Amino acid sequence: MNKYEKYIRYQTFPTPWCPGCGDGIVLKSIAMAFSDLDIDPNDIIVVAGIGCSGRMPTFFNTNTLHTTHGRALTFATGVKLSRPDKLVVVISGDGDALAIGGNHLIHAARRNIGIKMILINNGVYGMTGGQVSPLTPQKFVTETTPYGNIEPKFHPAELLIAARATFVARETVNRTIQLKEVIKKSFQHKGFSVVEAISNCHINLGRKNNMKNPVKMAKWIAERTVTKAQFEKMTPAERDHKYPVGILQENTDRYEYSELYHKHIVTAAKESAKKNKKK
Amino acid sequence: MDREEKQINEAALEVRKKKQPSKKGNAIELVSHYCKGCGLCVDSCPTGTLLLEDNVSSKFGISVMVDAPEYCIGCKMCERRCPDFAIFINHEMEKEKQ
Amino acid sequence: MSERKVLQGNIIVAKAAISAGCNFFAGYPITPSSEVAQYLSKEFPQMGRDFIQMEDEISALGACIGASLSGKKVLTATSGPGFSLMQEHLGFAVMAEIPLVIVNVMRGGPSTGIPTKPSQADMMQTRWGTHGDHPIIVLYPAFSDEIFSETIRAFNLSEKFWNPVILLLDEVIAKAHEDIEIPEKKDINIYKEKVNVIKDLNIYDRNIGENPPRVDFFKGYPIHIDGLEHDSHGWPTSDPVIADKMQNLRMQKIYHYQDEIIKFNEYHMEDAEIMVFAFGVSARAALNAVKEARDEGIKVGLFQPLTIWPFPKKALQERFKKIKKILTVEMNMGQIKYEIERVSPDDVKKKTLLRANGIPFTPKEIVNSIREFTK
Repeated sequence: MNKYEKYIRYQTFPTPWCPGCGDGIVLKSIAMAFSDLDIDPNDIIVVAGIGCSGRMPTFFNTNTLHTTHGRALTFATGVKLSRPDKLVVVISGDGDALAIGGNHLIHAARRNIGIKMILINNGVYGMTGGQVSPLTPQKFVTETTPYGNIEPKFHPAELLIAARATFVARETVNRTIQLKEVIKKSFQHKGFSVVEAISNCHINLGRKNNMKNPVKMAKWIAERTVTKAQFEKMTPAERDHKYPVGILQENTDRYEYSELYHKHIVTAAKESAKKNKKK
Repeated sequence: MDREEKQINEAALEVRKKKQPSKKGNAIELVSHYCKGCGLCVDSCPTGTLLLEDNVSSKFGISVMVDAPEYCIGCKMCERRCPDFAIFINHEMEKEKQ
Repeated sequence: MSERKVLQGNIIVAKAAISAGCNFFAGYPITPSSEVAQYLSKEFPQMGRDFIQMEDEISALGACIGASLSGKKVLTATSGPGFSLMQEHLGFAVMAEIPLVIVNVMRGGPSTGIPTKPSQADMMQTRWGTHGDHPIIVLYPAFSDEIFSETIRAFNLSEKFWNPVILLLDEVIAKAHEDIEIPEKKDINIYKEKVNVIKDLNIYDRNIGENPPRVDFFKGYPIHIDGLEHDSHGWPTSDPVIADKMQNLRMQKIYHYQDEIIKFNEYHMEDAEIMVFAFGVSARAALNAVKEARDEGIKVGLFQPLTIWPFPKKALQERFKKIKKILTVEMNMGQIKYEIERVSPDDVKKKTLLRANGIPFTPKEIVNSIREFTK
């Protein structure tokens, strides 16, 4: 048994994901990050919303919570404020986080609450059979865009940075070591963090855009993976189809929300209570 | 196996041609009932050790097999990229270390 | 010793929550319940307890669930529109069997309705608002001291039965400043029986009528909580046999103990020939009306339910053996009247006094209705 398997709940195997789905790779990378940091499973909670990625908590041998569609961050906020000492990880898909859950995403980022989000971007609603999502590339065919997707997709990193997220990074499921490393860094970051993991949904999205094999779709992702430096040199037109990887935003000079509440609000309140008593 | 799955095997064999068997033996452990035959490990292997094969007893009728164990260099790229915890390299040694 | 104070209904709820040991509030501003949040935003930090205003009512209840699962005693307060947004998470809390209290101060509906006027038109929503078959406990005080005691009872019932409890108020009793006697700490009994140790991970495994042997998160057990139908571990399943068993366990957990959950007051019912059935603000006018009608020699009494759901069917059917007329008074276009019709035998005559324009009934109006009912 490898050290990272300590964080895996084998009793609930096999996983429900399609053969070659990137979700299993993200599951393993997170377990490896836990293992590298040697965190006590009791100090970890993995929370997820609804979708293929939503089923991931079932396979972690830690505290786990499978919530409602788009709302994992709200449950996690309640957990983090109650237990600021715990590592609160949220797993969310592109639909779960940026469509129905978008409002909670920008508020969690604005608050800078110490939740560690892993946003799995496979550009489609996989669980429900392959509908278009806010991150589906334009022109792609899906179950709900049979004539090609006309909607422009979000740039999640820019959206999150604008919402004042203090740690934003991106990796892909092809680059498992870098993915684990950036997840580890996000765990060590104080405040809200998002790691976007570009993943392959070849069964739904790939099949309708001649990439029905996981290896073929993995190559499609690899061709669009660029470093931040390369990305900055590109023209806006070129940039739209590229995924710059690595840490895109890291700002450590802001307080984490639950620390700010427990240290500053509670102490200020107790002082004002003492003063009133004296009056 | 479909055309694309055959291409994954052909690519692996191409890679193997340019490699030599590794001096140090490595233990490759397959957890066959978890393997869904996706081929990601075959694609990840830098020495073409693994291939896909039709397998009636596997849920998806296809699974990975160790075609040339002597070529394995123990880099674990296959283990890292397996979504289903179905392949481990030197798994036994890891156990003793704990 | 107990204190006598003049307090707004919303503040009585907040103070009672503090006495009950509530230590986590997540809410969102809405007329007419914002005072609960405002008061706790000031008081909770002084006690080292958690307060947060979230971005909407959905996230407010979501945060409450996360906190409840992490060992906190949680409260949220809202009104019609917010309560409608909370329905999915109310269903999650029922499915995963999570203690929490939701205060719903009823205002004119539907939609934005009449935010500054009372109504009693969310009665059926509290029962059937969330989708699927589910048990629910709904309490509804009328008089100021009941606001305090029913808030305490809401927390106790939610902890004891691992289920959300809805505490209904209407805009009158929530906003009115009234004198109230706050009981001493020693006179308030708080339910405390949460376990910290379990023998295995079968946290939902128990017999009919028993509570799940469950612990909160971070107690040293890798527990899984899910909104999906789940087996005895809480792990997802769609197995029909398990689903059937779990549905019954959740339902029977409440209905097996409904006699203990159901509470009501009755006034002048000993020799009553007419029963007035009223709750919340309407019960206040009804009590005066009953006294006035008695002075005129009419044998009438008031049945005032404190527990709306589960509905006090047995108690009513007991009284229908003697009382053959029931007048239902509610500030809506007819909701609880259907429950009355469902539980009352054919030989009982039924009359209703209904209004849904934001203006509460006066005792005079109820007395007239009682008089008509004597003919």
